[in-house]
Amino acid sequence: MKIKKYELMPQIASLLGVLLWSVITIIPLMIMALAAIKTPEEQAANPFAFPEVIQWETFERAWTDANLTRGMRNSLILSGISIFLLVVFGASAAYPIARRSKYTPLFYFFLSGIMVPFQLAMLPLYRLMKMLDLINTYAGVIFIYVAVSLPMVIFLYVGFIKGINRELEEAAMVDGAGVFRTFWQIIFPLLKPVTSTVIIVNIMSLWNDFFMVLLFLPQKEMRTLQLSIFTFVGQYNSRLNLVMAAVILSILPMITVFLILQRHFIKGMAGGAVKG
Amino acid sequence: MTVNASQGNFTQKIRWRRILVDILFVLPALIIFALFFAYPVISSFYISLTKWNGLSPELKFIGVDNFTKIWGDKYFWQALRNTFKYAFFATTIQNILAMLLALAVTKPIYRPFRVLFLIPPLLSSIALGSIWKYMYAPNGVINTIFTMFGLEAFTQSWLGNPDIALYSLIAVTIWRWTGLSMIIYLAGLQSIPDVIQEAASIDGVNAWQRFWNITFPLIAPAFTINIILSMIGSLKEFDLIYIMTQGGPGKATESITTFIFGQAFDTNRFGYGTAIAVVMFAIILILSLIQMHYLTRREVQR
Repeated sequence: MKIKKYELMPQIASLLGVLLWSVITIIPLMIMALAAIKTPEEQAANPFAFPEVIQWETFERAWTDANLTRGMRNSLILSGISIFLLVVFGASAAYPIARRSKYTPLFYFFLSGIMVPFQLAMLPLYRLMKMLDLINTYAGVIFIYVAVSLPMVIFLYVGFIKGINRELEEAAMVDGAGVFRTFWQIIFPLLKPVTSTVIIVNIMSLWNDFFMVLLFLPQKEMRTLQLSIFTFVGQYNSRLNLVMAAVILSILPMITVFLILQRHFIKGMAGGAVKG
Repeated sequence: MTVNASQGNFTQKIRWRRILVDILFVLPALIIFALFFAYPVISSFYISLTKWNGLSPELKFIGVDNFTKIWGDKYFWQALRNTFKYAFFATTIQNILAMLLALAVTKPIYRPFRVLFLIPPLLSSIALGSIWKYMYAPNGVINTIFTMFGLEAFTQSWLGNPDIALYSLIAVTIWRWTGLSMIIYLAGLQSIPDVIQEAASIDGVNAWQRFWNITFPLIAPAFTINIILSMIGSLKEFDLIYIMTQGGPGKATESITTFIFGQAFDTNRFGYGTAIAVVMFAIILILSLIQMHYLTRREVQR
């Protein structure tokens, strides 16, 4: 019974700690939800009270006024294409780097991108984008997303490919399969775990990106979800219920995907931890 | 020479084909990375030595003038102080909380709580900014809570008081990222074989000793990653500050990143802004190298 005594205190402390942090986590989220479903007057009277009538139409109004259809569409296009390119370009670049040591300098060249803060590239990049006429184009922002995220993606893929046995691909080559076919049909399917990490880490940063689109995609028609919400919040900042409803609508897709793919997300978040 | 000429030619040909194929594999990534990241970074070292308004195609070379100007710019020093304060408090508090939480949620029954704690890291900066602006507003939630408990004396203009605004932002950062750090610590904890913990608890080692002498040294890799991640992340923080306070009130929450942004896009001093970015890069690089040196040294070889 001696062990029990040692174990009891930490367990009570754990429980209390977890409950406390849960309350701290939930209150802001709950307040956001309450503010959205109440009238501003009800909310001002008591932020914690539940409404007499839930104001569902606030969500409809927020959706149309913030033009979230356009925002979601633009965000989907940008993050979708960028992530697709990151997986294709990242995995294929990592392959020779992982397999032949003579490309190590090239690997370090890519890796240096992890250490460098984006702010250092920012102003010259702005100049380059202007010169190439890429400001306010999807292509421009996609190029930047890919360039900025590639170092981490290549790092993750190289580490994983190094752990895969060479015999498989050598057998395929002997059978006469070309290098490209060997890679895409034999190696790439084996990379699934790391590919899912790559996708998850990048969905989080690209879907929520604010800075790049603020700089490079400010035009109204091109606004992503985040910029739509940002401008909406700026215009309606006195209308708390509309602001919170728009915010809720903007975070729902991410939270839904997270709840469905929990296990993958948690693994991806821990595995992609190295991402800055 | 045992290899005859035609065989030599053949292997030569294979080698060249292989290099060609490798190049094709690497090329798309290399071009995009070089053009849209490496080239701007490298050219920023040159731009930092020029006077440039961001619009004109001409850059006027002025040597190290920008850097001497930084040295005498009191707003730069204030921004740097704020950035350091922000990084220091956010990194320490977030990591202590995250480690404690990770230890608390190791049991499988706590799985739903882990999921809950991972929701804040999924929120965008704008969502976070909107929620917390309301929490902090003079007639907002936090002041209401204080008033409810009869603690009117503690009510504050959380984002309007220059002495407090920075700490209010630090609190949001901690609220946001603690769950993510927790999951990284948890991954570290779960990689410790159970037998080690069991052996220690049978030997009658108490929980504190067990944590300090066994668990903590074994999660050192997670500790290294977390410290470096949260430090670099908070040194580079821009979105949240820009959205919540724009560096204000006054310059109370101005960080290096918002300072650079303001120099470039508000006052069109792109050369000067780039020079500050170069200084920021040097600081981050040095701090990361120091930390990596000390932290990896204490990682246990397994």
